[in-house]
Amino acid sequence: MSTSEPVPVRFEAVVRSNTHELAISTIDALDLDRVPDSGGEIRLIVGPEDCARLVAEGYEVRLQQVVPVQPLDPELVVSDSAAQAWFDEQVGG
Amino acid sequence: MYRTVAQLDRIGQQLAQRFPQHVRWTTLPETSVQGRPVHALRVRAGTGENRRGVLLVGGVHARELMNPDALVELAVALVLSYTGGTDIVLGGRTWPAADIKMIMDTMDVHIVACTNPDGREYVMTVDDMWRKNRRAGADGECPGVDLNRNCDLLWGVAEGQTSCSPCTDIFVGSAAFSEPETRNVLSIVDSERIDCFVDVHSYSELVLYPWGHSPNQTIDPTRRFTTLPTGSCQPVVAGWREYIDPRDLQRFETVAQRVVQAIVDVRGQQYTPQQGRGLYGTTGTHSDWVYGRHIAHPGARKTYGYTFETGPFVGNARDSFHPADPEPVKRDVTSGLLALMQQCVCAVELIGLRVLGGEDQVDGLRRIRDEVLATTAAGRTWIGLFERLQTSVIPVLFADEALLRRAGDVVARARDAASDAEAPLDDGLVTDTLAVLQDIARGVADADVDAGVRAVREALQPVGGRSWRGLVEQLTSRGPTLR
Repeated sequence: MSTSEPVPVRFEAVVRSNTHELAISTIDALDLDRVPDSGGEIRLIVGPEDCARLVAEGYEVRLQQVVPVQPLDPELVVSDSAAQAWFDEQVGG
Repeated sequence: MYRTVAQLDRIGQQLAQRFPQHVRWTTLPETSVQGRPVHALRVRAGTGENRRGVLLVGGVHARELMNPDALVELAVALVLSYTGGTDIVLGGRTWPAADIKMIMDTMDVHIVACTNPDGREYVMTVDDMWRKNRRAGADGECPGVDLNRNCDLLWGVAEGQTSCSPCTDIFVGSAAFSEPETRNVLSIVDSERIDCFVDVHSYSELVLYPWGHSPNQTIDPTRRFTTLPTGSCQPVVAGWREYIDPRDLQRFETVAQRVVQAIVDVRGQQYTPQQGRGLYGTTGTHSDWVYGRHIAHPGARKTYGYTFETGPFVGNARDSFHPADPEPVKRDVTSGLLALMQQCVCAVELIGLRVLGGEDQVDGLRRIRDEVLATTAAGRTWIGLFERLQTSVIPVLFADEALLRRAGDVVARARDAASDAEAPLDDGLVTDTLAVLQDIARGVADADVDAGVRAVREALQPVGGRSWRGLVEQLTSRGPTLR
């Protein structure tokens, strides 16, 4: 399943196997969306079909959370007035 | 909080309107795939062409939201520090106004804050985990190209996290530089002098340098990416280890360490400097491409290319890509970028430019550095010592016109002496060089600089009729003794 198109369900998942290097090569071969993990784990954003493929390949797939397709929280977007106020404050009006 | 594309653009535009003598805001040659303009800032003080240049790009991956904001704020901070003579204070790290002035006076700082405006818009309105640009897919399926796999460095080689499948998030596109967003970056690199480059991504707290496609090696210079096939959609040849010039590797490591320290100083975040491959295998990235240009195209200027991965992993990917409070991370990356810019200044080239009438006046010395000293481990330790200490030395040197003139004089005499490598070195030149170094060290008042000057003194004395060639042979066989 594509992870680049909006899909109904996708997950953040950690994939484990007995052989870390083999798991990485499999992830590479499956063209999955691997995101960084500071602990060195193999962390992915994947759809259900990809999860099933990984499990079928013998990997342990731990779903961390659902990653819904949604816009950025509007609370995190600067308003136009706030953006302008920041600039004005910086340059002294 | 994150700015929209329009807000980012508006800051750049207003900054240029307010400070036209320091800021140029331009529209890059191509609109994005959805027709949005892409803009670049050039920030500097003074005039002149062909100055050293640094290019900072952000927002290549849409969901990595912090970095475009950090870059426009950096532009504002540079200008305000310069015009107001004020320090830039970032948590526990203070960047003195004199350091910012040195950067502004000597370099052109080019910034493309939001390389991928379509992607950012999509993140804010549809899917906050979107990574690619918004190139329409075939038959309406699977849109988007990973812009950081689309550059002309082993393009289409499906190593690691690189894919020829359009439905993946790491799709390379239909050809190298198939995307207008990457061609915009190419246009700057082609038209401006760019000595240092940073592509600012998130997350993982890393400072990455080449190569991304294979392990590095410094032994066999025939193992070059230029000999490998491209567009194969296959991984790199098994067992391949790419050559990297040991002098370049040393410089990458030295500068990365400086960047890491500048970030630590802000609030203690410990970034890791490492080869790009350490994160995962890649081809077609901006930073590897920009560094690889001088290898693929002999005669092209060498550009040191880095990728920063800003911000920590905070337990899940979404909050790591766009944390609710990005301000601390932005301060970290700002400090790191200032360190990178500072490290991009070369003291000897500056002396050539300011005192001797042009950087080309020190070409002979530069060749000795790159073609002789750099060929041995001992010689590279001398280069590394110089590069480490020059950051402290430059502000002192350029704050004292008389001292700068004396430095220019000894550099010119050293250059002239180097033109006849067999002639005995002039005792007066050595004496004057040591006197200049001693006065610089007095002004810096730094134990590392003192140790460096002592090491130089030991290397230069006694002169005893040695030729320039003899001195260089000594430096290439025995590194500095630092006590």
